[in-house]
Amino acid sequence: MRIADKMSFNQVNQNLTKNRSDMADLQNQAATQKRINKPSDDPLASARVLASRTEERGNSQFIKNINNARSFLEFSDQSLGELSEILVRAKELAVSQSNDASGNEETRLVTASEIEQIYNQAIQIGNRKLGERYVFGGYKTQTTPFNQAGEYFGDDGDMKIQTHKDSFVAMNIPGSKVFLGKGLGGDGIVRARYEAPTTVEQLKQFQKEEQEREEINREVESNFVETRGPASERRSSRFDKQDPVTGGGGTNIFSTIKDLEISLRTNDKQGVQAALDTLDQAISQVVLTRSEVGSRIMAVNNTMDSLQKAVVDNKVAASQLEDADAFQVISDINKTDSTLKATLETSGKLIQPSLLDFLR
Amino acid sequence: MSKISAMMDTGKRSLMNSQTALQTVGHNIANKSTEGFSRQRVELLSNQPIGEGNLQIGMGARAGVVTRVNNPWLEKQIQKEGMNMGFHDSRADALGRVEQIYNEQNNKGLNQYMTDFFNSFRELSNNPESLASRTLVRESAVAMSKDFGRVVGQLKAVQEDLDGQVKTTVNEINQLTKEIAQLNEKIQMIEVQKTPANDERDRRDLVLKKLGEKIDISWAEGRDGMVTVTAGRTGILVSGIGSSELKAEQTGSRDRVEVFFVGTGTPANITDQITGGRIGGALEVRDRVIEDLLNHVDNMAYTLAKEVNKAHIEGFDKSGRPGVLFFEMPEQSKGAASVIGLNKTIFNDVGRIAAGAQSGATGDNTVANVISSLQHRQVMDGGTSTLDDYYNTQVGQIGAISQRAVKSQESQRNVMNQLTNIRESISGVSLDEETTKMIEFQKTYDASARLIKTADEMFDTVLNLKRL
Repeated sequence: MRIADKMSFNQVNQNLTKNRSDMADLQNQAATQKRINKPSDDPLASARVLASRTEERGNSQFIKNINNARSFLEFSDQSLGELSEILVRAKELAVSQSNDASGNEETRLVTASEIEQIYNQAIQIGNRKLGERYVFGGYKTQTTPFNQAGEYFGDDGDMKIQTHKDSFVAMNIPGSKVFLGKGLGGDGIVRARYEAPTTVEQLKQFQKEEQEREEINREVESNFVETRGPASERRSSRFDKQDPVTGGGGTNIFSTIKDLEISLRTNDKQGVQAALDTLDQAISQVVLTRSEVGSRIMAVNNTMDSLQKAVVDNKVAASQLEDADAFQVISDINKTDSTLKATLETSGKLIQPSLLDFLR
Repeated sequence: MSKISAMMDTGKRSLMNSQTALQTVGHNIANKSTEGFSRQRVELLSNQPIGEGNLQIGMGARAGVVTRVNNPWLEKQIQKEGMNMGFHDSRADALGRVEQIYNEQNNKGLNQYMTDFFNSFRELSNNPESLASRTLVRESAVAMSKDFGRVVGQLKAVQEDLDGQVKTTVNEINQLTKEIAQLNEKIQMIEVQKTPANDERDRRDLVLKKLGEKIDISWAEGRDGMVTVTAGRTGILVSGIGSSELKAEQTGSRDRVEVFFVGTGTPANITDQITGGRIGGALEVRDRVIEDLLNHVDNMAYTLAKEVNKAHIEGFDKSGRPGVLFFEMPEQSKGAASVIGLNKTIFNDVGRIAAGAQSGATGDNTVANVISSLQHRQVMDGGTSTLDDYYNTQVGQIGAISQRAVKSQESQRNVMNQLTNIRESISGVSLDEETTKMIEFQKTYDASARLIKTADEMFDTVLNLKRL
């Protein structure tokens, strides 16, 4: 083949350009430690890297959510623990005052004031705050849930927290449930749906159901036969006693304590004895709710474990997709470097001699 | 006697031939680096011999014609491939810039801003009462809207830049077509005298190649040696010694630069006919790739705004008021990404963010949950992909297009390199070769001079006969 001078120059030029650009590429990989520096470096992988970034951010948000929900739940659990402790104490006192062997009018009066303290404590537990939020107010976290009379000003809201792509967990127990026994079944009260709505249609359905639910509940309450003890100082309530018709249902913890106190004050032995049963129910109601809280804590802990594993897995996956293999890069750099040197050397030789150099 | 003077004559002509040949060698060496130059060769012919008795006596040589060593078919092929080269070059350049808009390897991009947006609603759901988490929602919504604007802005900037390229290229094209017409004229003038117009033809081949790199042309040479050049299907740029211009300007119907052929009648829009060369590549990226991406990003912004608004107006804000539109609602999908923005009312008072489904329940986070769930709902592509999927697919696609473009550019460059190498091996100047020829002709020159000297001495011998 006939070789024109321009061919040699072009060849030298092309080879050097190629080596230099390979070198620049590798240098870039070494500097960023990334194999992918722009989508076209590996289109498929770069789309997947984006997806795993989203996942990573999502996961760390879910971890934050869980931490938040957990502290809320743990605080609720702790408060419920205290609640059950004071109820047990109340029961002890009631037991000791339920017969004439260990109690008389005077001891009952003294015990009554301790029960009054327990009542205040129960109210105080019901009004517990975590940060700026009332724990037992349902959605109404900025309204004091209970007044001194034990009337509830919160609602039945479950604050659902997203713990994973499509799972939600409620992080609170509404006070109406744990303190008033509302919606524990058998009382005709309809509880809010457990699932969190995730679409607008579900949201609208949820709002509709909530309205219907409230109406039904209002109706149930207004139809209820009022029972009112002769010495009751409180307004009658649907939840003061068990439903005379259905017989089941929750217990109003405040009424229970208050009734006990009144029975003690009025030296009503039968009343004190009657309170023993209700106290038992109250304690088991708190224990029941506490176990619900506990199972939620367990659930979020499990989710947390799998999330933390997912975070690591995800990092590994992303790293495999986009990270440069340092060893590979360095050895490639060395290889390219020696190629570049060889090219430079041979280029020098290729360009230099011409017939003219020998015609002196 | 006549033979001695014939000898001198032969010597003289040979001297002149050598000079001509050396002149051509010099021309070749001088044009060693001239783009598009084909080496030239003097064709030496032996003169008509003279018959003398039964002898035929050679009368030396004469310079026939100076030809260029050139393969016109190869030139045509190079021109064609050069057209593809120009197309792939400008396409890969433009796509490289488009790709950077979607590059989230090192910078924060739309994907991250969207994730932040949804996460801010999760944070709001954790604590709907808190002003801090509400402010976070505002900030993330504003940042996301801004990034939608950035993507659109940058895509449009690339389009505008391509507009500029089209304009400049059209100007260059007009210069080149004018030159081709002038060369046509020169070539015809020279070749009418039966002399090949070597340098002019080289130049015209080169200008045709340059023109082809810019726009797709077809051309043919007529019997008179003049070429006719057509751009697209209908734009006759050069015909004989006349040339027509192209014009690039914005039209009323579109805000993009379009290409017009300015012939004798009204200018004709030939934008759609251009599919090759640099302009072809630029137009393809500008009108297909970027338009497509703009549609997609608009689609995304529109759906996002629509879905968030739909949920948000169902909710109630911190003070129990019914929810307002969260985003300023774009009228339609087209242009949505550049107008999407947080509602001013919410911007001024984050309390207006409606987190709950019920009025008067500050801890209600139902709506915040619905909005954050939007991230994992399949709302795009007729309910088959999530917003993230949709966007990531876009990024993958633009990456793939760009990667393919670079690959085609590389392989096209290889094709070009090979063809240019073949051309050089035929038409290129080799110094060694020219030097050899130089020596050869120098020796011929020397020998011819020696011949004249010999003839001169022979004359002397004859003239001095008497003196001897």
